[in-house]
Amino acid sequence: MIDLIIFLSLLALGYGFGRHAENRHYASIIKREKKLRKLPAIAARTPTELSKPNDSCLVVGSVVISVDYFKRFISVLRNLVGGRVTSYESLVDRARREAVLRMKEQAQAMGADLIFNTKFETAGIHQGNGNQIGSVEVLAYGTAIIPAQQN
Amino acid sequence: MMVTNIEIVPGKRITKHLGLVQGSSVRAKHVGRDIMASLKNIFGGELVGYTELLQESRDEAIARMVEQAEAVGANAVLNVRFSTSSVAAGAAELFAYGTAVTLEKM
Amino acid sequence: MEYSNPEIPEGINTSKGHPLKEFIWLTSGVLASIFAVILLLVVFVDALTSYIPFSVEKEIPLPEFEVGITEGPLPEYLQSLADRIIEVEGLPDEMDITVHYVGDGTVNAFATLAGHVFLFRGLLEKLPNENALVMLMAHEIAHVKHRHPIKSLGRGLIAGLALSVISTTAGDAVISNFLGEAGYLTILKYSREMESEADETAIKALQSIYGHLAGAEDLFKAFQDEKVGLEPPEFFSTHPLTDDRIAEMRNAAEKYAQDNKVTPLPSEFKTWLLTDEK
Repeated sequence: MIDLIIFLSLLALGYGFGRHAENRHYASIIKREKKLRKLPAIAARTPTELSKPNDSCLVVGSVVISVDYFKRFISVLRNLVGGRVTSYESLVDRARREAVLRMKEQAQAMGADLIFNTKFETAGIHQGNGNQIGSVEVLAYGTAIIPAQQN
Repeated sequence: MMVTNIEIVPGKRITKHLGLVQGSSVRAKHVGRDIMASLKNIFGGELVGYTELLQESRDEAIARMVEQAEAVGANAVLNVRFSTSSVAAGAAELFAYGTAVTLEKM
Repeated sequence: MEYSNPEIPEGINTSKGHPLKEFIWLTSGVLASIFAVILLLVVFVDALTSYIPFSVEKEIPLPEFEVGITEGPLPEYLQSLADRIIEVEGLPDEMDITVHYVGDGTVNAFATLAGHVFLFRGLLEKLPNENALVMLMAHEIAHVKHRHPIKSLGRGLIAGLALSVISTTAGDAVISNFLGEAGYLTILKYSREMESEADETAIKALQSIYGHLAGAEDLFKAFQDEKVGLEPPEFFSTHPLTDDRIAEMRNAAEKYAQDNKVTPLPSEFKTWLLTDEK
C-alpha cells in the first residue's frame, strides 16, 4: 500500500516538474534560435567560398539533460508494448537543439558567420547497474569560419 | 527529394544552402521480440524482429529529416550522416542529419 | 553562394498528443493484459491440477515441521473431531487427514499438501467452545477436499514465472515491483475465492454435525480480537474481511434451523494445551 503511494507521488512530481521544465526550455530554445538565425550551421565538409581570407576554429556545444520519473515509467511500459517512445523524443530533440545553440553561441562570440562540418555525438549516461539510463548527453561540434577583419 | 551522403553531386550545382536538417526516432522493442531474442541467444541466428525494428526506425528518421527539408524549401539533402545511440533501457534513438540545399542542373 | 538558415517548423521530431492521455492509455492497457494473462493461467492451472490424483500429493516431499505432534490425548481428540468432519464432508477414501498440533503461541491454522492440517496452540486457546473448533477444522479440511493446497502451489509457480518475465523486461526496481504487485493483487483475489468456498463447505459440515450454526461466529471473533490496529483493505488481503465472513455466516444461519445450545470443549482441553507446551 505504501509502495503504491510512494510510486504515485514520484510519478506526479516527475510529471509536474518535468513538464514545467520542458516548456520553459522550449521557450528559451525558440527565442535563442530566432536571435541566432543569421548564423547557419551546415553538415557539408568543404567550404566552397575560399576567396575571402578568414580564420577557422573548432566550436563545441554540449548539454546533459536528465530523465524524469514520468518519462521513465512511460518508456518502461513502451518496452512491454512496443512502438514510439514519445516521452524520449522530446527529450533528445531539446538536447540536440540546445547543443547546437551553445555551439553557435560560442561561434558568435568569436565573430564567426558560418559553421561547417557539424557533427553530433549522443550518449546515454548509465546509472547504477547499467540498466537504467539517468540522462542523455548531446555533443555538437563543427568548424566556425570567421571572416577576416576589413582594414 | 534527393537524399545522399556525398557533398558534390556530379552534374548538379548547389544554388543555396538552407542549413542543417535533422530527423530522429526513438523506438522500443516489446515483450514478444524480447522473448524471441532470448531464445535466439540459445539457438543463434538473425534477430529478424530487431532488424525490422531498427529498419523501421531508420526509415522514420529519414522521413522526418526530409519533412524538415521540404519545410525550408530544399530539393535535396546532402552529406547525410547516421547515428544510433541508446537513450533509454531497451530503446534506441536513430538519428539522421544532413545539409538541405537547392540543386540545379549544371 | 548563399548560406541561409530558415526557420524549421516545430513538431516534426516530436509527437503531438498529450502525455497524460498516453500515460492513461498505456497503463490501463498493461494492467488489463496482466489481469487477463493471470486469469488465463489460473484457469489453466486449475484444470491441470484436477488431473493430479491425491495419491501423487502424498509422494511430494514435505518440509519437516518438527514441532507438530500427532500422538497424545490432545491430538487424539482433534483427530476424532476430524474423523467426524471427514465423514460428513464426504471426502473420497484416499484422502486421509492427519492433524498436527503445534505447541506454539502463534494464532494460526493451515492445511497443506497430502491432507496435513496444522493447528497452533495460540489459536486453540482462543476458542470458547467445541463448535468453533469444529468450524475451524471443517474449514481447513474443506481446503483439502477442494484440493486448494495443490492449486495454490501450481498457481504460485506459473504466475511467478510469468511475472518474472514481465519484471525483467522492466528495468527499474520500483516500476517492476509495481507491475509485479499488480499481478500479485490479482492472485489474491482468487485466494479470497478459495477461502469463501472453504467457509461455505465448513458451514454445511457444521450444520450436519450439530444441527445448528451457533458457536461458529466465535471463531471469527477470535480473529477479530487478534487484529492490532486497522484491518488492511480487502483488496490487499488473502482472506475476505472478517466482518464479511461473519455476515455470510449469519446469512447461512438463517437458511438452516436455529438452535442455540453450543457444545462445550472437554474439561481437560485447557490442561492439554498447557502440558503440551514445548
